[in-house]
Amino acid sequence: MIDLNVQPLDEKRILISGIPSVLAAMLRELPEILELRDSPDARARLYPNPTTGNDKINREWHQMAGPELRHLFVSAGETVTRDLTALTADKKIGDAWQVAFPIEHVSAWMNALNQARLILGEVHKIDEAEMNRTDFDPQSPKDMAALRIHLLGYLLHLFVELDSAHEPENRL
Amino acid sequence: MAPPIETGQPGVIIIGETETKDELSSPWNVIVHNDPINLMSYVTMVFMRVFGYPRTRAETLMLEVHNKGRSLVWSGGRERAEHYVHQLHSYQLLATMEKSAA
Repeated sequence: MIDLNVQPLDEKRILISGIPSVLAAMLRELPEILELRDSPDARARLYPNPTTGNDKINREWHQMAGPELRHLFVSAGETVTRDLTALTADKKIGDAWQVAFPIEHVSAWMNALNQARLILGEVHKIDEAEMNRTDFDPQSPKDMAALRIHLLGYLLHLFVELDSAHEPENRL
Repeated sequence: MAPPIETGQPGVIIIGETETKDELSSPWNVIVHNDPINLMSYVTMVFMRVFGYPRTRAETLMLEVHNKGRSLVWSGGRERAEHYVHQLHSYQLLATMEKSAA
């Protein structure tokens, strides 16, 4: 049973607790996955064209916006990679892990988790039908990539829920 | 977006006239396209953050992206459209802009 939780530890830090070993292993692989951001498939997805047919605008866009976007993505990955060095055993739950990091890093975590999911999707050519499957063959790299996308997605969803707790109507 | 053209003469550049009055006045649509990976909850959050939309509107647009494959999420001047597309790309959404037919 997964008891994964993302919550404020205090006013300055966020704690991810109850990280199952399989997800902890995936998180340790994040830097390696993020390094694939410059592969041709991943590049096309992470740096999409701003128009569907205007080559001039597209070309100018990539010259102007491309470096800034890449800096944002690389920086988010580096922040999360540093935070993950603090991944330790969660003593409250057997065979689980936890990590705490500054609250200012939340955006970087969301960015890096989503980057990794998109990169895995592109590198393994995962489509909508494969994302909707619930059976995974452990011998299939494609199935294992889909499983990783789902697990990292579950963690990302917890970050989104944490963000929604700060909406005006949800504040006490 | 046309860059100035260097003439080689000190202090003299030519500014290209690339946008007609019609192009500047026609609204541009910002379109978000469906993709199999991005979470529905994440897309909703991005619409709320980027456009300041209330949750109900953000969810309606997200569902339109999911069910129809694309959704027109904003319409207006070209500079703002470019700004929003850039913001949406920074959140890793598939977004494009196109000049409105109207």
